Amino acid sequence: MGKVKIKRKSTLIDMTAMSDVTVLLLTFFMLTSTFLQKEPATVITPSSVSEIKVPTANLVTILVSGAGVDENGKRDASVEGKVFISIAGDVDSTYSSENVREQVLLEAMSSYNKLHKNNPVNFTNAQVKTFSKLNMFGVKFSELPKFLDMSVAEQDEVMKHLDNAIVGIPVDGNRDMNKPNEFQIWMRAIYNVAEANKDMGNDALASALRKTGEGIAVKADKDTPYSTIHDVLDNLQTLKLNKFSLMTALKTEND
Amino acid sequence: MAQIEQSDKGGKKKKGAQKKMQIHVDFTPMVDMNMLLITFFMLCTTMIKSQTLQIALPSNEKVEQEQQNKTKQSEAITLILDTERDTDGKVKFDAETGKPKHTIYYYEGKPVVDDENKDGIIDNPNIKVEKFIGNTNGQVNGIRKILHNRNKQVLEKINVQKEKWRNKEINDEQYQAIAKEIRNDSTLTRPVVIIKAGPNASYESLISALDEMQINQISRYQIDNINGVDSALIISYKTINGIPLH
Repeated sequence: MGKVKIKRKSTLIDMTAMSDVTVLLLTFFMLTSTFLQKEPATVITPSSVSEIKVPTANLVTILVSGAGVDENGKRDASVEGKVFISIAGDVDSTYSSENVREQVLLEAMSSYNKLHKNNPVNFTNAQVKTFSKLNMFGVKFSELPKFLDMSVAEQDEVMKHLDNAIVGIPVDGNRDMNKPNEFQIWMRAIYNVAEANKDMGNDALASALRKTGEGIAVKADKDTPYSTIHDVLDNLQTLKLNKFSLMTALKTEND
Repeated sequence: MAQIEQSDKGGKKKKGAQKKMQIHVDFTPMVDMNMLLITFFMLCTTMIKSQTLQIALPSNEKVEQEQQNKTKQSEAITLILDTERDTDGKVKFDAETGKPKHTIYYYEGKPVVDDENKDGIIDNPNIKVEKFIGNTNGQVNGIRKILHNRNKQVLEKINVQKEKWRNKEINDEQYQAIAKEIRNDSTLTRPVVIIKAGPNASYESLISALDEMQINQISRYQIDNINGVDSALIISYKTINGIPLH
């Protein structure tokens, strides 16, 4: 009897097609992705039926942190209501985020120093450069130079502790326009830069801030009490930036 | 692991015949690397862009008494938002629906503030209570029903246009333009909604209230600050109906 020969099949699988597919997927993700921006506080926005999309350019995002949870699982209100600002510039490279942020910092510095003649704050060129790379900022103005000198890891460490007094832009005391608080100094600076850029020929940010209300987006946690949100909205009203948008997630009418 | 195999099927080689090379490149590491990159991009991207709700608030400047816009009493409806919180300040959730406990106190027209026996409790506050329920089985419910009924004329007209738009008789732009016109048509009875959020009311409840305006096609609404009269009304309502104040 002849032996039955078992034919040995090669275990090699042709991975070329697989590779093609993965490369395609990769290209898709690379092209469609907008990176999650690093934010000091994670908030869950409430949902709404509104379908207007958040613009990616010419946008000032105001983040209001929500309450945290402490070790015992209790609500921790000490981290609530901290305000952070993020500025996104135009697609046009002359008015890019970096350039706008630089301008805003210098503008804010000059108006801050006018109010605090005794202890002015000045920035070195390196600090200004670092600031322009920051996506979202939110420390007291007097602490800003020191903050900008830190390494990225150290900055993150500072931002992690929201209950720290230097974290968050102060919003209190907003009625007196001759003595604006730091939040108002920042917003006013952004507004002035937008107006200056408008004179230079780019009115995208200025019109987004003033006319349509697309330029300012308030992002806050859904469980935050209204009294906290009101502090921020009230400041905007005092600044006559009455039109703005509230960031929401999508839901349907039936929910 | 690229392999170059020489096919060498035994026997004679013809002189001058080109050597046939079978080139086989193993793509497995390439696929591995791509998968890693894909995972990275998938985790780092935000596919869902957030939506926004645009609002316009009045400026903080003092308005002279004569310049103030007076709302007709018959048109006004005031919503006062509140959210139930526990002693910690955490939002309470409804055990059945799993939704946060938002309450809407509302009154139509002017608040009634008679206090005959002077005990600080308003005798008959004209306050009613509703909740955000949304639609149940396609029927409007809760506060939406109240607002829906107040804005019936506008909604009926818009629904006619919506039907046309669904049947592709008019395009999207035309529909939006007509809807806007109807919303602002002063010959129809339309409500003016005043939204007041209490200090405990969560941000979510404010957004829900603004949502109701959009769903019910109400063009005239405003966000106002809560005042003493409103607080007194709510406290009186709670006291009369035996609801704990906190």
